[in-house]
Amino acid sequence: MCFQFKASFSPCIIFELFRYDIGELKLQLAETIHKTPNLFTGSMVVIDMEKLKASERVNFEVLKQLFLAHGMTPVGIRGGTAEQQEDAMSAGLPLTNIGKSMVSENAKTKVAQQVSVTKLITHPIRSGMQIYAKETDLIVAAQVSPGAELMAHGNIHVYGCLRGRALAGIHGNKEARIFCRSLEAELVAVAGYYLTRDEFPAMREQNGMIQIFLKNDELQIEML
Amino acid sequence: MTKIIVITSGKGGVGKTTTSASFAVGLATRGFKTVVIDFDIGLRNLDLIMGCERRVVYDFVNVIRGEASLQQALIRDKHVKDLYILAASQTRDKDALTSEGVEAVLKELSKTFDYIICDSPAGIERGAQLAMYFADSAIIVTNPEVSSVRDSDRILGLLASKTLRAKEGREPVSEHLLLTRYSPKRVANGDMLSLSDVNDILSIPLLAVIPESQAVLRASNSGVPVLLDKESDAGQAYHDAVARFLGEEVPHRFISEKTPWFKRLFSFKEKEAV
Repeated sequence: MCFQFKASFSPCIIFELFRYDIGELKLQLAETIHKTPNLFTGSMVVIDMEKLKASERVNFEVLKQLFLAHGMTPVGIRGGTAEQQEDAMSAGLPLTNIGKSMVSENAKTKVAQQVSVTKLITHPIRSGMQIYAKETDLIVAAQVSPGAELMAHGNIHVYGCLRGRALAGIHGNKEARIFCRSLEAELVAVAGYYLTRDEFPAMREQNGMIQIFLKNDELQIEML
Repeated sequence: MTKIIVITSGKGGVGKTTTSASFAVGLATRGFKTVVIDFDIGLRNLDLIMGCERRVVYDFVNVIRGEASLQQALIRDKHVKDLYILAASQTRDKDALTSEGVEAVLKELSKTFDYIICDSPAGIERGAQLAMYFADSAIIVTNPEVSSVRDSDRILGLLASKTLRAKEGREPVSEHLLLTRYSPKRVANGDMLSLSDVNDILSIPLLAVIPESQAVLRASNSGVPVLLDKESDAGQAYHDAVARFLGEEVPHRFISEKTPWFKRLFSFKEKEAV
């Protein structure tokens, strides 16, 4: 056996780079370290590129030498564009996953996925049931009984018969719409603006979908 | 495997107890060891309809609370052998029912009975919830009338979500529509909701249509379940209902003579009982 790995959690300072102005940077760095030298000397540094403009090109060799001169060891970078990462690599500063950067990216994609996955229901929605589609659209491929309630941040599509209530765009999304095949709902609403069954316009029975949407803060009910 | 059937409706007065009594008699007559339990604590009726009100000593709540054994509480029916009744308490109310207590009683009964029929009270409170909680099958008794249909719809929602089968993710409680007090004449002249109107909203398999019948009142008053009145239309309809529940193909006789297409439509919709 030649060696073994041992877990060790040494603190690493994250250096968030906003813009690369080498003159100013040198001054600011010297000033900062001067205030509390013990905090910085001998520590490892990871250069965080997230807040840097994508167009900025950094001279990583210069930056590296600057840190070394102050007794700090730059170990790598995180974030940044592919180009910036390549530049850093050629200066001997690899891309690391130190800290939360990679995790937050994953979390961001996860959230993005959650937001776009529509809530789909295929069983009949019985009287008294409440369905809530959070931050997404709602599709119901079955009947919605009188006394049932559908609520969604986004649009609501009902391919069965809608006889209950449908409230789209709750929490103020005025772009949301409701799509249904017949006008038998008890109440429809978009972003809080509502119409009850009594107030629906008389519509001739036609084949096709009905769409309900807001125009100038007034609820419109039209054939598609 | 013991099957637990709940007779429920939501709406009151539609024919749950009448149906429970006749169904129990129908199953027992075919040789299945059957027990029918009244879940309407405080407003018990099943004992009256079964004609055993003078023989109630111990009741469901006594058994739950350990004050009596099942043997002491079960009443043997005098019309049909293999049929037993567990009456509800009249002096207490639904708060006396507990989930654990009900479960224990049903478990005990499952050792010896083929069918356990739970006669649910009206409403959606504790008595009704516990009556349906452990069910394998549900017979939803509905009148062809708007409030009954809406209440039945609500009950269907509860059956799909608030039962043990739903909570454990098993095969859902099987749903069967029993339309009672049906009058083809009133449907024809537009007074009454038709079977297809009801089906539009509920969309569950039809078990039977029981016609409006004077025999039902006579049966209640005499304490003899209407199925035993073999001459009556209601009695025959219940007889057909039991047969259909057990998987037999029985044409619907009491929907209407004038519109045979109904029969074709709804015999197609019959499904085998669980």
